[in-house]
Amino acid sequence: MQLRGPGLPTLLCLTGAAVMSAPAASDAAVLGLPVEGQDDAYVFQFFSDVDDVRVVTHQNAYGMDFDNGTALQLQILRQTVTVPAVEAAPGSQEAIDAITTASRPIRDIGDAYQDYSRTRHQFDLDVSRPNWAAGYYVSTEEDYFAQMIRAGYNRDFRGRTFNFSTGASYGWDRIDPVEDADSGTGADHRSTAYANAVGTWVLDRDTVLRVGVEHFRVSGLQHNPYRNVYVDGGNLPERHPDSRDRSDFYLRVHRYLPMRASIKLLWKHYFDDWGIGSDTIGARLSQYVGENVVVRYRYRYYRQDQADFYRDEYTEPGGVDGYRTGDFRMGAFDAHLFGTRIHWALRDVFARAGALQGLALQLSYERYFNSNNFSANILEAGFTLDF
Amino acid sequence: MKTTKVSVLRAMTLRAGLVLTAAAALSACATVKPHQMEHLADPIMAFEADAQEHARELHWIEAREGSTGGAGGAGGGCACN
Repeated sequence: MQLRGPGLPTLLCLTGAAVMSAPAASDAAVLGLPVEGQDDAYVFQFFSDVDDVRVVTHQNAYGMDFDNGTALQLQILRQTVTVPAVEAAPGSQEAIDAITTASRPIRDIGDAYQDYSRTRHQFDLDVSRPNWAAGYYVSTEEDYFAQMIRAGYNRDFRGRTFNFSTGASYGWDRIDPVEDADSGTGADHRSTAYANAVGTWVLDRDTVLRVGVEHFRVSGLQHNPYRNVYVDGGNLPERHPDSRDRSDFYLRVHRYLPMRASIKLLWKHYFDDWGIGSDTIGARLSQYVGENVVVRYRYRYYRQDQADFYRDEYTEPGGVDGYRTGDFRMGAFDAHLFGTRIHWALRDVFARAGALQGLALQLSYERYFNSNNFSANILEAGFTLDF
Repeated sequence: MKTTKVSVLRAMTLRAGLVLTAAAALSACATVKPHQMEHLADPIMAFEADAQEHARELHWIEAREGSTGGAGGAGGGCACN
C-alpha cells in the first residue's frame, strides 16, 4: 500500500491554512488548554552534485506550545530527486553508477536515455512534555514506504547544570522495487531499532559539554535493488549482509566567546560489524553582526575505513563471503564540507506589524567534496515565524 | 592483522573519549547559578537550533557516506540511497 502525498501547492496551502487558522496565542485554547505560543518554519533546499543529480526539498514545521508545558509539532516535507540519464544500455558496465550511488531503475533501453525523477513525502508528528517526548514518522515514495515510532525521556540534575536524556525508536520500512530491466529484486523490508543516552553538562557560565552514545540494529534489505556489480566480465546484483549493528560515540562542546560569538566543536567516532569505522570532526563559528544578524561559518571533516567485503574489483561471483558491492560508501575515503549561513531577525523591520515581529530569514550555502572526486553544492533558504 | 590493529585503535579512541568525558563531568562540579546562564541561553549556543538542520543534512549525507547515523526509519528510498 502506498500513501499518496499532496503536491507542492497543496502542501503550502495546508501550511498556510494551519498558520492562518491557528488561534492567537494571547487568548486562545485548544481542547481546553491555553496556548502560550506558536511557531512556523519553512525551508527550501536545493542540492546538486558533480553528476547532475538534483534534489529539491520543501519542508515546513509548525509548532504549538501550551501553558501546561505540553508542545505539539507537525512537520511535512516534499522532496524530488532527479537522476540524469545514464547514457548507457541496461546491463552494461557504464550503466552502473558507483560514484553517486544514485542507481536507478531502467525499464527499457529507451528509458536509459531520459532523466529519472521521483518524489518523496514525509509527515512527522511529535508530542512533548518537559520530561518526555513521543513521535510518529511516515515517509512514502514510489518504491519505499517507511514508518517509525519514537519516545524519549530527560531529566535535569544539580540545579539544572546536568541533564540526562535517553531515547529509543523503532522503524519498519517496506521496499517495492519498480520494474527494472537488469535486476530482479522482489518486495522486501528493513527494520531499525535504535537507542541512545546523552549527558549534557554546564561546565561554566560560557561552556556546555554534551556526550552521547547511540546504537542501531538494522535488519533486512540493505543494498540497492537496482545496482549491479561488475564481476569478471559480467554484471551481478549487489548483495550486502541482511543485518548490521552500528554504534557511535560523540562529544560536543559549545563555548561562548567575547564579542557576541560562539564556537561549537564536534568529534564523533563510529564503528559497525561490517568493518567500517569512521571519525568526524566539525566546527561552527557564529558571530552577531549588528543586533539582529548572525553569520555562521562551518567546517566538517570526515574519514572512514572500508567494509570487510568491499573490493575495487571482484574476480569471483561469490564476492567476499558471498557479498559484493558497487557502493562507494563501503570503501575508504575522506570528505570535507565548508559552509556559511546568514540569519536575519526582522523584529525591527516589522516593529509595528504584529505577528510579523517574530519573522526571521535565513540563507546558507555549503560545498561538499570527497576523495572520490565527488562534489556537491547545497543551497538553503527559509524563514521562521514565532507568534 | 589489520583487523587487530583497527580494533586496538578503536578501543584506545573510545577509552580516550571516556576519560575526557569523565574529566569534564568531574570538573562540572563547579556551581553555575541560573542567573549566570545568560550566555548559555543565547540562540547561537543552542543545541536544538541545529536539530532541524542536522535532520535535513543527515538525509543527503547518509546517501554519500557509509557511517552517518543509522537509517532510523528515515526512508530515503532507492534513488538517493
